[in-house]
Amino acid sequence: MNTKHTDFNLSDLPKRNVYQVPEDYFDRLPMRIMERTAAAPQHQWLPAQVWQQVRVAIAPLMLLLLFVGVFYFGLELQPKQDSHTMAAVSDTEIVDYLSTYATVESNDLAELNTLQQQELTSEFINVSAADAEAELEYYNLKDTEY
Amino acid sequence: MEDKEILEKFANPDSRNLAFNQLVRKYQQKVYWHIRKMVIEHEDADDLTQEVFLKVWKNLENFRQDAQLYTWLYRIATNECLTFLSSKKRKFFLPINDVATELAEKIDSSTDISGDEIQLKLQKALLKLPDKQRLVFNMKYYDELKYEEISEILGTSVGALKASYHLAVKKIEEFLKQD
Repeated sequence: MNTKHTDFNLSDLPKRNVYQVPEDYFDRLPMRIMERTAAAPQHQWLPAQVWQQVRVAIAPLMLLLLFVGVFYFGLELQPKQDSHTMAAVSDTEIVDYLSTYATVESNDLAELNTLQQQELTSEFINVSAADAEAELEYYNLKDTEY
Repeated sequence: MEDKEILEKFANPDSRNLAFNQLVRKYQQKVYWHIRKMVIEHEDADDLTQEVFLKVWKNLENFRQDAQLYTWLYRIATNECLTFLSSKKRKFFLPINDVATELAEKIDSSTDISGDEIQLKLQKALLKLPDKQRLVFNMKYYDELKYEEISEILGTSVGALKASYHLAVKKIEEFLKQD
């Protein structure tokens, strides 16, 4: 291979662009890019500067809201759960349970006095008026202290 | 329109499209030619230029205004070029010299590349350089950027860039001295 070296400085060479583009290429390029951006979502819905300012405050705020939410929901749910549980038990089952396992004491009879004012049916009390009267006299309620 | 004004208008959803259109019109040629000198073919440069501006569209809200907008654009364009060239090498299972040879052949055969013999030879000489050194040369020699600006774009120290450019010029002059 025959090579010949001559003095050459890059600074002596005029700067020229040897590459060409199709006619009106740079007139059409912005429109083509804008068409593609219309279909491309941006990464953030919140401006970055605003986001940087609020993000520090968001974490403790969310935590606080979570605690408050859990506390109030807990309070609201608790009584509802109890009433739902009792509502699922029929009156007959309650009476059966009481007649089998419950022992009547003076306090219970004292409560019966107030129950009469609540128009409870005789089926629910399950005792005749004469028996009840006799029982009340036996315990002599006037001497009972509450 | 100044960069600051473009960014302010872009932050407003009502004027976002208008602002971005202004940005594209302002910087499209710089981005395109930066890419074209690296990938040589127009079709590739066209695709990559569009990709660069799509990335700008998606990430402009995250742009930190303590940096210059055009250096940020250069950085995105540079990354796109390097990714494209490395994938081209992997795709064809070619070592670096073969990709350079392929691109050099395009300089001879392409209809949208024309110039004096010495100018075409300069382009082929550039293809002998490693990609990053070619980037440094293009930005310093053609785009006339300052070393500090190139440093910001490439994340390389000014000293290393000066050495890289000096070495690139020496390699090119050696190549051009040969008949």
